[in-house]
Amino acid sequence: MPQLLTNKRLILLLLGVILLVALISFSLRDRDNVSLPEQIIKDAVGAGQSVFSRPAHFVTGIFDNVDSLLNTFEENQHLKTRLEEFAGVQAEVKDLRSENEELKKIVGKEEDLRDFNPIQATVIARNPDQWEEKLILNRGANQGVKPNMAVMTASGLIGKVTLTTPTTSTVELISTLNPNYRVSAMVVGGAKDVYGLIEGYDAERHELLLKRIDANIELKKGDQVISSGLGGIFPKGVLIGTITEVTIDEFGLTKLAYVKPAADFSLLNHVIIADRLMPEVDGEDNGVTGDDES
Amino acid sequence: MIRFLIPLICLVLFFMEPVFGLFSPLNIGGELNYIVPRFLIMFLIFLTLYYDLKHAMFYGLFFGLLYDVFYIDIIGLYSFLYPATCLAAAAAFKRIPRNLLTATLLTLVLLALFEFLLYQFFLLISFTGMPLGTFITTRLWPTMIANSIFLVMLGWIFKSVMVTQLSERDNKIGLY
Repeated sequence: MPQLLTNKRLILLLLGVILLVALISFSLRDRDNVSLPEQIIKDAVGAGQSVFSRPAHFVTGIFDNVDSLLNTFEENQHLKTRLEEFAGVQAEVKDLRSENEELKKIVGKEEDLRDFNPIQATVIARNPDQWEEKLILNRGANQGVKPNMAVMTASGLIGKVTLTTPTTSTVELISTLNPNYRVSAMVVGGAKDVYGLIEGYDAERHELLLKRIDANIELKKGDQVISSGLGGIFPKGVLIGTITEVTIDEFGLTKLAYVKPAADFSLLNHVIIADRLMPEVDGEDNGVTGDDES
Repeated sequence: MIRFLIPLICLVLFFMEPVFGLFSPLNIGGELNYIVPRFLIMFLIFLTLYYDLKHAMFYGLFFGLLYDVFYIDIIGLYSFLYPATCLAAAAAFKRIPRNLLTATLLTLVLLALFEFLLYQFFLLISFTGMPLGTFITTRLWPTMIANSIFLVMLGWIFKSVMVTQLSERDNKIGLY
């Protein structure tokens, strides 16, 4: 193609490639901060995007409604069998809750790692090329969203906020391959709570990896994993998933558990951002720990 | 008003992509199938073929930059690949007969190439660890099938829009 690559064009192409490599390496290196022009573009595109995503959510809502209408009979029967059980459980929960409050009053403890201020948000876009598991929400710094906050649906944790602009925020899903993505978690269900870290995702099994569990501790299949709140930013008690398999990790020193996520990562519409009431500190949840560099 | 029809279509397609992306990944038979909507690049390739390479590259650069900043956070990836694909389309179209069928086929071939280049890039910077076989079965095929349906349905509309735009522009050449 001689007419396509004349000298002038060749030079332009080379300059372009150099600029490209520089830009890519710049934006790969500095991914925690958003520069001002980027913020402006993000906000502008976000505003346009929410105009388009609203009718889409409306349409998917209709489909969901039809779908649930078709399943009504089966669901009703299933629910009827659970109803009696539920009444008992509810009474128990009420009792335990009031007891817990009374006990807290006696001890004089008012704040709890569990308390958080929910910020309701709508997913306006999902990274369309889907190489990185990212969502874009229609709430941003103006509504009090800060990086590293936990993001969840009604069924469980789905990810955390990585970037915020005044009116949008970017969420990295928990099913990411990013090695610096950690959530401090605990296993409930046994006699004693067991602490560990959610670190990594098995893309073939579609399950999370719960690492750094003491090798002497016995874990059972089916135990529930919740966030521990000890990582500094997440509230305590957000459901992450259930254990499906327990093995020894690659060094043979600690145990590794496969955790099936409780939340479904496809077709996400409405999510809740958890703004913890307790003061936030650096920890595993934002990847700023002392031993991080080693 | 008519003059802004092409940028308007670009803008609509740009915003439609993530909306359709919300449906993915599709779970078919226990396997997750990723469908990546690539409406804009297909439109831009058609723009190159039936309208003008310069316009197509300019729109590619502009929307590529928006795409990079808003979705990917890696500036320079799409803003390079969009115009480069247009350039490749222009070069290839000089050697093959010009009709709607060849244009559609060429667009699909370029789209597969585009997907593959992106896969190689994300493999390089280790955002993904997907093996090649998995990539082809769970990403490339579903994406190509979904996008070819889109293109077969709307390709002739794209073409007729561009052809009318081009004749309008040639008539009012003094305005440019």
